[in-house]
Amino acid sequence: MPEFFTGIGQLISGSFLQSGALWTLTNIPGFPPIIQTVHILGIAVVMGTGVLLNLRILGLAVPSQNITEMTDRMVPYLYIALISNLVSGSFFVFGRPTRYFNNPVFAWKMLFLLGAITLTIYFFTKHRSKVGYWEQENKKWIARSIAILSLGFWIMVSLAGRWIAYLEHLQYPMWSI
Amino acid sequence: MISDFLRSTFWLDVEEWELSWTIGGTNWFPLLESIHVIAAAMVVGTILWVDLRLLGLGAIKYPITTLNRELVPWTWGAFIIATITGIGMFITRAASHVLNPAFQSKIVLLVLAGANMAYFHLILYKDIQQHETVISTSIQLKIAGSLSLFLWAGVMLAGRWIGHII
Repeated sequence: MPEFFTGIGQLISGSFLQSGALWTLTNIPGFPPIIQTVHILGIAVVMGTGVLLNLRILGLAVPSQNITEMTDRMVPYLYIALISNLVSGSFFVFGRPTRYFNNPVFAWKMLFLLGAITLTIYFFTKHRSKVGYWEQENKKWIARSIAILSLGFWIMVSLAGRWIAYLEHLQYPMWSI
Repeated sequence: MISDFLRSTFWLDVEEWELSWTIGGTNWFPLLESIHVIAAAMVVGTILWVDLRLLGLGAIKYPITTLNRELVPWTWGAFIIATITGIGMFITRAASHVLNPAFQSKIVLLVLAGANMAYFHLILYKDIQQHETVISTSIQLKIAGSLSLFLWAGVMLAGRWIGHII
């Protein structure tokens, strides 16, 4: 595990971020399952926006929807979902920072997320630069490559998210609390 | 009667199936759960646009029937995957699940979401043509759309809660 990564965990550990997150998780009845559901609903919106757009670009879904119109419509929803998931996920990461920042699956999740977000920003930026940018014939294969990659990234982010807890369950005693 | 059914030893037998042991004792369980989460997110993510359209809040450029035709097959496909993976996890601890209030709520909410969907497709859909291209749909369609959103979110919440009780 890279030192700067575990270092983030140590930085949060013992801070007000950790005490605040732990207080919220333990004192508000039902908070953990509720905030986890908010997190999964965020994933649902990512599926309905980013992933659906990728499927559209690959010609697999919603053929009547226009890529340019769809992109315009998806952007705000996708950003809101990502911000919402950043907040909902933070409660757990801040609550037990050293566990997350020592967990290689969490590191992979962040890496996949970075890949997905980078591709998304690139796609949206180019989209804004010219009307119908991604519908140009000579951009078709770039768009499809981005779609396949980002589809893979989003799936891996979701899978890794679920496996953080499993790895922790299997290997937790090896890590400091 | 329902209590007898839920407390029946059948559920304990289910847990003893070879398949239940295989899933419960190997990485099959986390794998099924991961797929379950992605499939469930896909169910909600795709039906979301139909519901938003019914409410006049999103995808308003497209006729309801077009969205329905192109999105609902994805919803169903994802739902089938979620059901198979869900049953796979259920059988590993069937007897505890049937008595788990979160699991029971999830099943009730699923039935309600299904009933709402059936009402929309079998009753409201007959007159869909007149709302086809208008942004502001009838109050009935708006109710069906919002019920769908709330019920599916409820299914997710109850589903997530199962793991906190068991």
